[in-house]
Amino acid sequence: MLQKIRKLVVSLGACLLFVYVFLPYLTKSVDILDRMADYLDNNGIDPTRYYYTDVVQVKESENYLNTVLH
Amino acid sequence: MAPTDSSIAADSSVVIDHGRSSWSDLWKKEDYLAIWLGFLIIAISLTAYFGFGPREEFAKKIAAAEQIQSAEAAKAPFKTIAWYKAENDKKKLKGSNSAFGKFITHWTKHPGSWKTNPADAFIRTDAQAKAMNQKAMPVYEEAKGKAAAVLAAAQQAESAAAAAAFKDSALNDAAVATIKDWQSAEKKAGAAKGKTTNKAYNYIPTLVGLCVFLVVIFGAGMALMKKSFTEFAKGFVIVFLVATLAYMLGGQAISKQYGFGAEAWGVLLGMVIANSIGTPRWVLPACQVEFFIKTGLVLLGAEVLFSKILAIGIPGIFVAWVVTPIVLVCTFIFGQTVLKMPSKTLNVVISADMSVCGTSAAIAAAAACRAKKEELTLSIGLSLVFTAIMMIAMPAFIKAVGMPEILGGAWMGGTIDATGAVAAAGAFLGEKAMYVAATIKMIQNVMIGVTAFCIALYWTMRVERQAGGQDVGAGEIWHRFPKFVLGFLAASILFSVLDSTMGKGMSDALLNGGAVKGGTKLLRDWFFVLSFAAIGLSTNFRELAKYFKGGKPLILYVCGQSFNLVLTLTMAYIMFYLVFPEITAKI
Repeated sequence: MLQKIRKLVVSLGACLLFVYVFLPYLTKSVDILDRMADYLDNNGIDPTRYYYTDVVQVKESENYLNTVLH
Repeated sequence: MAPTDSSIAADSSVVIDHGRSSWSDLWKKEDYLAIWLGFLIIAISLTAYFGFGPREEFAKKIAAAEQIQSAEAAKAPFKTIAWYKAENDKKKLKGSNSAFGKFITHWTKHPGSWKTNPADAFIRTDAQAKAMNQKAMPVYEEAKGKAAAVLAAAQQAESAAAAAAFKDSALNDAAVATIKDWQSAEKKAGAAKGKTTNKAYNYIPTLVGLCVFLVVIFGAGMALMKKSFTEFAKGFVIVFLVATLAYMLGGQAISKQYGFGAEAWGVLLGMVIANSIGTPRWVLPACQVEFFIKTGLVLLGAEVLFSKILAIGIPGIFVAWVVTPIVLVCTFIFGQTVLKMPSKTLNVVISADMSVCGTSAAIAAAAACRAKKEELTLSIGLSLVFTAIMMIAMPAFIKAVGMPEILGGAWMGGTIDATGAVAAAGAFLGEKAMYVAATIKMIQNVMIGVTAFCIALYWTMRVERQAGGQDVGAGEIWHRFPKFVLGFLAASILFSVLDSTMGKGMSDALLNGGAVKGGTKLLRDWFFVLSFAAIGLSTNFRELAKYFKGGKPLILYVCGQSFNLVLTLTMAYIMFYLVFPEITAKI
């Protein structure tokens, strides 16, 4: 059981380290990624959303195109 | 996962028509139960918003705004300030602001966003909310001041154009330009205002209530399928807990930036548990992946509106609805004939995921062809990795080569998998790029209904028939056909008809802003995250590795996506710059 728990801690720890330590480090180290992070934060864009109704910017785009094309 | 309960005849030319469908399937089979549950939620949402919602009040306000817009359109050759103000008044109308909307939104909340403290995903105190609002206030005040100043300039420019009876084109152009600046300043002020309206919350009681509700609705379905309600309820608490933690982990800002949302965390967290300490046996009866997915897909049907296809005219149809099926079919054929993919279902799920719209298409395709959960996991994993890379690399490449914004936007919209990532990449390239990219993606999103139906039909009539080696009759085809796809299509048709008959203003306010965003979508989100948590909890790493053997799925994705990139760029160039340059000029 102890070995199983160790396995859980190591696997979960590796995932968390990758996402919450390595990726922030990568973001801070690469200028374009850092700018992108700020941009997403300031504009409230969530890249994890996969369908159009989940993304506010889609409605905004639809409205814009409706206004300029019609 | 192909059904094997039909009779097998020795002579392959004999038509088999021994489907075992019966009336009791309607209340005993998962596919039908997913349809009933989905439609129950849809019916409640529609009744609440259209029967008891502020329909008449909205109708009056929309009519008043449209009257102003008609008068302004008759007066000036461009859209005036009053026209835009009326348009903004219409946009403010949302059914989800009604009492029912607030109630259902509150009771379906999931853990929110956070940056440094995971507890922020669940609880925010009054003091924290006030501090956040105070911090954001100076930016808002500045943005508000700028917007007011630009509005004054726009009013002055419009008055000058009006004084010349809107016949001086230079004055008209100046008015159009300043009105556009005002719109842009208003947008910034609106975004800044949003950051000053943070409220305190505690989602824990909400999550407990939601868990109980979900146990009841899915547990009732389990009982109808002659499975134990109690065993399901016990295990479901763990599945729900994993889904909740997945929402929390996926809500962190950097995790979101790279596209690792709740769905990805659900699978990952579940798999880590399953492959380390092992998923307890009593949890497995609650890992009803297909039940959650099918119900979620029926609800997703409410968001597949066919009117969206025309959002950007014919160029959009060619980029999203002509290129996409060509890429899907070619990738599938390439996978079968050249790569000799060992699994047809894995092949079609990756092909749909890569060519249509990522996760949602993968879910729909996997359910339609009865793919294994490992195949869905693998396909979504590939999509997540490539989405994160393409979201960053494509705008950088487009900027570096000096490609026009609209062409770049159309290219990204047609190729990057997830809609959120498309919006992010488009916005990073420029405002117009985002408008085009997000709209192309939206048109492509609508294709998942047709994709799921065609895959289900092809699998039932060709793939499973070939596997069995006999011709099958209509009864057998009906028996094998995944019925939930019909629920998915029925929801799509119902909402598309409602959308086209009630007018854009009312549809935006009560259908999209009410029944969907204040109803079906809230639960659809949860159902998909629950299904991913359940997939993770019941997936064995070794099983998953077996599907990746030889790297064929990766090769398939890379080859298909490369073809997609070339074809989409070519089509976007032809459509937006050679055939319809007037549309590009207007954007």
